[in-house]
Amino acid sequence: MSVNRENVLSYKGSNFFRQRLVLSVLSGKPIFISDIRILEDEPGLREFEVSLIRLLDKITNGTTVELNETGTSVYFLPGLLYGGEVDHDCSLERGVGYYLEALVMLGLFCKQPLKATLKGVTSNNIDPSVDLVKTSMLQTMRKFILDDEGLDLKISKRGLRPLGGGEVIFKCPIRKQTRPVQLSDFGMVKRIRGTAYALRVSPAIANRMVDKAKGVLLQFIPDVYINTDQCRGKQSGKSPGFGIHLVAETTMDVCYSSEQVSNVVSIGEETSVPEDLGAAAAQRLLYEIYLGGVIDSTSQSVAILCMALGDKDVSKVVMGPLSDYSIWFLRHLREFFGITFKIQHLEDEEENTGRGCKKILLTCVGIGYTNLSKRTI
Amino acid sequence: MENAEPSKQKAHRDRHSGRKTDKKKAKKNADGAIVENDAKQKNPKAFAFNSAIRAERRFRRKQDINTKKEHIPLVDRTPIEPPPLLVAVVGPPKVGKTTLINSLIKLFTKLPLTDIKGPVTIVTGKKRRITFVECNNDINSMIDLAKVADLALLLCDASFGFEMEVFEFLNICQVHGMPKIMGVLTHLDMIKNSKTLKTTKKTLKHRFWTEVYPGAKLFYLSGILHGEYLKNESKNLGRFISVMKFRPLQWRTTHSYLVGDRYEDLTNQELIRQNPKCDRNVALYGYVRGVPLKKENWVHIPGFGDQKIHDVSFLPDPCPLPEQLKKRALIEKEKFIYAPFSGVGGIVYDKDAVYVELGGSHSYKNREEDESNTIVANLLDVKETLDEKMKHSELQIFTGGDKLTAEDIDESDSLIAPEKNSQTHSLVDEKFKQLLKKSFEKVNAGDRIRRRVVFNDKENVDSDHDELLSDAEDLEKDNDSEVDQQDMENEESDSEKEVANSANEETDEEESEEDDVKWKDDLMKKARDSFFERHSSNQNLMKLVYGSFDNKKAMETVGMEEGSDDGIGELFKKVSRNQHEIRENKDIINLTESSLSLPWDSVMTDWTDPQKIILISNCFVTGKWKESEDASELLKLDDADLSDKDSEVFGDFEDLETGETHKAKDETGEKRKREETDKPSDTALIEKKKKLKERFDAEYDNTDKSNHYEELKMQNEKQSQLNKTVFEDMPEDMRVQIEGFRPGMYVRIEFKNVPAEFIQHFDPTYPLIIGALNMGEENIGYVNVKIKKHRWYKKILKTNDPVIISLGWRRFQTIPYYSKLEDDMKYRYLKYTPEHLACNAHFWGPITPQGTGFLALQVIQSDQEAMKHIGFRIAATGSVQELDKSTKIMKKLKLIGHPLKIYKKTAFIKGMFNSSLEVARFEGARIKTVSGIRGQIKKAVNKPEGCFRATFEDKILLSDIVFCRTWYKVDAPQFYSPVNTLLLPPDKKGFWKGLRSTGEIKRELGIRNAANQDSMYTDIEREQKPFKPLIIPNKLQKALPYKDKPKHGVKLSEMKKGVQRVSVIREPHEQKISTMMKMLRSSYDQKQSKLKEETKKRLEKHRQEIEAIEADKGKKLKQKKKEVFRRKSKAQQKEKERG
Repeated sequence: MSVNRENVLSYKGSNFFRQRLVLSVLSGKPIFISDIRILEDEPGLREFEVSLIRLLDKITNGTTVELNETGTSVYFLPGLLYGGEVDHDCSLERGVGYYLEALVMLGLFCKQPLKATLKGVTSNNIDPSVDLVKTSMLQTMRKFILDDEGLDLKISKRGLRPLGGGEVIFKCPIRKQTRPVQLSDFGMVKRIRGTAYALRVSPAIANRMVDKAKGVLLQFIPDVYINTDQCRGKQSGKSPGFGIHLVAETTMDVCYSSEQVSNVVSIGEETSVPEDLGAAAAQRLLYEIYLGGVIDSTSQSVAILCMALGDKDVSKVVMGPLSDYSIWFLRHLREFFGITFKIQHLEDEEENTGRGCKKILLTCVGIGYTNLSKRTI
Repeated sequence: MENAEPSKQKAHRDRHSGRKTDKKKAKKNADGAIVENDAKQKNPKAFAFNSAIRAERRFRRKQDINTKKEHIPLVDRTPIEPPPLLVAVVGPPKVGKTTLINSLIKLFTKLPLTDIKGPVTIVTGKKRRITFVECNNDINSMIDLAKVADLALLLCDASFGFEMEVFEFLNICQVHGMPKIMGVLTHLDMIKNSKTLKTTKKTLKHRFWTEVYPGAKLFYLSGILHGEYLKNESKNLGRFISVMKFRPLQWRTTHSYLVGDRYEDLTNQELIRQNPKCDRNVALYGYVRGVPLKKENWVHIPGFGDQKIHDVSFLPDPCPLPEQLKKRALIEKEKFIYAPFSGVGGIVYDKDAVYVELGGSHSYKNREEDESNTIVANLLDVKETLDEKMKHSELQIFTGGDKLTAEDIDESDSLIAPEKNSQTHSLVDEKFKQLLKKSFEKVNAGDRIRRRVVFNDKENVDSDHDELLSDAEDLEKDNDSEVDQQDMENEESDSEKEVANSANEETDEEESEEDDVKWKDDLMKKARDSFFERHSSNQNLMKLVYGSFDNKKAMETVGMEEGSDDGIGELFKKVSRNQHEIRENKDIINLTESSLSLPWDSVMTDWTDPQKIILISNCFVTGKWKESEDASELLKLDDADLSDKDSEVFGDFEDLETGETHKAKDETGEKRKREETDKPSDTALIEKKKKLKERFDAEYDNTDKSNHYEELKMQNEKQSQLNKTVFEDMPEDMRVQIEGFRPGMYVRIEFKNVPAEFIQHFDPTYPLIIGALNMGEENIGYVNVKIKKHRWYKKILKTNDPVIISLGWRRFQTIPYYSKLEDDMKYRYLKYTPEHLACNAHFWGPITPQGTGFLALQVIQSDQEAMKHIGFRIAATGSVQELDKSTKIMKKLKLIGHPLKIYKKTAFIKGMFNSSLEVARFEGARIKTVSGIRGQIKKAVNKPEGCFRATFEDKILLSDIVFCRTWYKVDAPQFYSPVNTLLLPPDKKGFWKGLRSTGEIKRELGIRNAANQDSMYTDIEREQKPFKPLIIPNKLQKALPYKDKPKHGVKLSEMKKGVQRVSVIREPHEQKISTMMKMLRSSYDQKQSKLKEETKKRLEKHRQEIEAIEADKGKKLKQKKKEVFRRKSKAQQKEKERG
């Protein structure tokens, strides 16, 4: 189509595939990715990446994708975000969270409110689980939009590896733009909540995880309450397993979350012990609290994106140390949107021992991105 | 004399003493002001509350008025030092535009400027600069200028009246966001008659008001003296301009733009010599306006096309505002004037050259500067010169090379650690390394200019010391906790990672060190040294994320040119960039992507370990609160407020109390705190109190909090304050990267591969505008707009006829498809735009934000002949509604078929479709006959292909026609062609030719449509209809009355026709009788006519007589009346005399 060749961004390798596609859709810049896993036994795109392309194709209008024969290079020409009702069977190689994260980033700027039904694995070890998306990412999004009516994630079924069977419904309203925010106070943790679930295994396992997790957390704060999510029949997916998800809420409504999910015995991983899992989740939560900031380490990229896309005003957000993913996200943002963040250590005049690690202050001027798909009357 | 007397009277003197004055004084003092509610006090009943309804109405009206005044508060983004005001002088030819600009420039600068071309920037006041631009008589220029002008001076020849151009320009302005408009009437001296002058002024003023707004300013320039406007009139106009205030316009608060006031051709002269048509590299100059300009933006140059910015750099302001305000008015020296196209303006320092304007002739040999100029540049230019760069390059290559090897060895892993410091990085190590490096440098530097070496040395020693100290402090400060953390992390991750981490840190440190040294080389930047030291840690963080930060071309150009302008920093970076890439290629490139900082199943250390607990204990509400939030601390401050002296005692007491309630862990904290609170002096305490007071005020004092509007306004104000201050203390070159080039900066933008025509056919009288495009706006798609044909345009617009559209920055030709949005949200195709209604249009064009206004033209040629019969040129206006990559226009389609065979209610229909496959697509569709019988398509039948069975609600006739009403999707053609008037030779700029409509082509080629034979007029031939004879049954005949009975005899007419008369031959006697009778009759007739004549005469006579009598009577009456009036008047006179 009519696209200036100069505008195409080219990359190499499969890493940050989702980042690049999402930013490409938002910015309207076509991308060309080559050398995808050329040195591996199975070269080219994996199933989960193709599935992501499919999903993006479903929520956009006018997207063109060209793959070469081996699948080692992709040319992606984005269309305009359309939204609407989408039904997608996610690849089982990755969790639903992998796809949800993309939708969270894109959902606000669709033509019609998004209602996506995603099916697949709801939690695994390498992706944020759907619980985490709900507690952390959506919470982050809420900070950047004035009115969050219609922003919702419903977990109707849970499903674990290897067969999946989970289902979530993600609803996202459309907005014209995100607003600039200045968030520096992250408060103190006032309570800890959580969910433990045991799917197709003994329900007592959930309680065992809860007990252990509470044992760790009660040393810090008395207000700990962990739910056990009883999933029966179809709600519990197709594979056995269990997991736990913890959220720490602060006085300033900041959420830190962590989670653990059991190993899959059927594919040769060693059996996980519920007690260990519970303790590990609690430890991980403490680690997240240690990292701190206004934004959870997992949803840093969402926050960064919202800051970058905001009105042409200054946004300031205090975060914990940047994760590798966010660092690359910042780099990609610079290439796609030409936005550079001012990154500095937070200088707090008050002494702050015992308040976790050193925080980072991100400052930027938004690019004034507006929803180009939305229809005005 | 008499009149003068009252003024001489003594003025009244107030009494200052006495009882009354005392009373008055008492009153005044009690209220603090003069009592104005006197009447209220005297007659309180009159002011009592008496009608609830009226009060309610009053209240409601007040609220209405208040609400009407409210606008959505916007964040104020006007820069601290705004760019010059852009004043466009617009009007039809020969109205005095140039004269006006001349006299205004003369007014402000006292310098007469002859031969003005392009924009002229002058300093008019302490805080205001103005750029004047004259708009030539080309609708393209008018459109472009309307988009950028802050103020339009609309000139009009009063002796002629308003011309079409004026109204066209007003309309263009309305569409593209109304700038301020001021009308100026000239040629008033041509109207000699003072009365006509007055009426002309009035009518013109009122017409202008209806167009702009009632009360819009219209200036009168009464005449010309010595080729200039009268001095005081132009002075008044100038005053009006210089105090004018502006409202932000939507498009301009979201887009940055420049009005180019200078250009340079940077192409190698040799290339041009070889091929004069080769693509050029061009630099354009101008003040940034609107919002900050980002280097990564695409820009659109109206009349030329989209361009990618190659490079942007800011230059010192060529026309600066006075720095210090010493006097009320400007000094002559500060009245700058800058107009490069007209050959005015001082020396301009550029990135790689100095330009000295040689009056009048505009030369672009920027490469060949003579020796003296370079020296001047050396002295004046803030950036590095070529010579310096060369020297640098040697040095840097050397050290860079060193580094390259070092990096090769060290860097083997990715940048993973977010933390800056690592425990493996010992202080001693660093010191050693730094010293090592410095010595290296010294050696290297030894070959170069001596002065430099000494300078560096000294600096190094000092800064070494400082840096080390500060580093050490830094490390100590953050590391008691952080070291632990690092420990843990490293324990968790495998040892390889750890090594890589530390290696990374090292290299980063080194890099920054290198950079520091380089900066210090620069004279200008030396001043900022201290600042960099302060922010070195931040620099490192940014470097960690963005790589080599101060390299502006990071990541973009992989293929490097050996550009002499890019100097040595570039060379050095290239190495590091390659390193980066290699590293990326090796490790990260094909990793699994995950937004988690660590996978969930990675092993954590035990956080319940008491050593670790300390690190996060205060993250919980159970831990120690911040001083500003801690309840006990706040209480203590309150007490301090109450009694300054006893604060210590109270504080102690308080502490004991909390100590009792809290745990042991807390106590230690409290103790420490107590020590601290004891230390700080009163000033710190006051500071703290002030802060608390502020917080308190913010929470409680704001009584308007319920008022949403006020709150919003305050928020926006806060935001704008933050926008202005947050980057204030950053060095300019970094700030520019984060924030973009702020409005008001004078920048130079480089473009590559510009067609040679842009330079060859450059005409400064055409405005050169560089409009930045926001994200996504460089793309093309379907634009759905709301459009209305202009009521002054004579024709309606036809679908598929190309139009020229001005939308956003762009002017382009495209083919719109008109449609109407039906109630079921379907866009129904329209062949023509409705006459007086808005409709929708889809066209293939640039993606532009919703709500942007646009206008459509059919002709842009400034051809006088064509203009004459076109009249108003703006064909339609509207605004963008929606953007998409496809269209949904549906055209109404009627399929027609005929019955083949009819059973009761079933019929077989043929001719509607061509195949049974088509029928299958329409099964179940509703059909209808002409007579209105409804039915449904059932199923295709085999035999005649395309024939189908259908059922109807009634039996249809074989002569019926069957319709099937459906919709057909039409796609608007993907045609988009920018109007590139700037590339045309000067004499053809006004005659851009694009796609022609079918009608135009046919008209030109003389092709006429073959007329439809069926539509031709033919003579009407009507056959006589033979009716059957009327047969009345015998029985009925009998019953009929006679007159209605059929007569069987011969009809009278038949008789007349058919009967042959027998000629009568009279007898002689009969003949006699008949002659006699004839004579008698004729004599009788004669008599009668005579009688008639006489009667007529008599009557006439009688009438005359009567008339004469009447006239006589009237005469007499008149005389009488006259007499009476005479007498009466005499009597009156007498009476008057008497009285």
